[in-house]
Amino acid sequence: MAEKVGVLACSGEEYLGGTLSRLAVRHVMNKLRPGRVSTLCLPLYIAGGEEEREFAKKYPCIAVDACSKSCAKRATIKYSGAVRDVLVVSDVIGEEAASCRTVSARDLKPEHYAMMEKIADAICLKVDAILAE
Amino acid sequence: MSKVIVVPCSGIGKVYGLMAREAALAVTDHLAKETSETICLAHIVTGDEEVTGKVCGQSCISIDGCASLCSFHSLEAAGGIVKGKFRSVDEMRFHRGANPGTGSDLTEVGWQITDELAAKIAVKVDEIQKEAK
Repeated sequence: MAEKVGVLACSGEEYLGGTLSRLAVRHVMNKLRPGRVSTLCLPLYIAGGEEEREFAKKYPCIAVDACSKSCAKRATIKYSGAVRDVLVVSDVIGEEAASCRTVSARDLKPEHYAMMEKIADAICLKVDAILAE
Repeated sequence: MSKVIVVPCSGIGKVYGLMAREAALAVTDHLAKETSETICLAHIVTGDEEVTGKVCGQSCISIDGCASLCSFHSLEAAGGIVKGKFRSVDEMRFHRGANPGTGSDLTEVGWQITDELAAKIAVKVDEIQKEAK
């Protein structure tokens, strides 16, 4: 039984879905499931060392991707190992919302934070399922 | 003329990642909207031909939060020509003792420091564009 789950956000800079993936993973890590989730900056697969590339071997991982390009999932598989589960933000809040060009935290409105909470809840369901295995 | 590619690390663990992200967005969405653009770093990390084709041989600016320099290393790995290299943590030297916020939210002073960094990056974008003429 896993004690911690790795959750990796794409944090994409081009679309709202990336901003929400980053915020939702932080929300899960700090507020909803503190101590049960670990994360990693995705580009550390390139900039970091062997330890970072061991991440998916150390923890069962969930990739949280903004869109169907699935960058967090594919980068993890390429550099670190298999992912246990995937959450695509556009599947939770819809394609139109996820691909919206509102990206800066300056421009986020209450409806965006509501979307973030919905994504965080969806991540928690996946985290809990892995922890219960 | 090609736009300068401005890529932040968007590091998920610390406030410096958020400052880097927001500084990049301030540049590409407002300060140098016509002359710069951003690309999702997670997409660059995947090494897809689609994205390396956009970055390879192009003038880039990296904005990193910490000494790992994830954006810088990822851009170099994709063949980008990094002509400007910034670190949000370096801006704190000019604001000793200030609390810029968390990885999820910036304080008022955090936004002020981020805006100062963005202004410096916008100047660098202009310099790169002038050199290219």
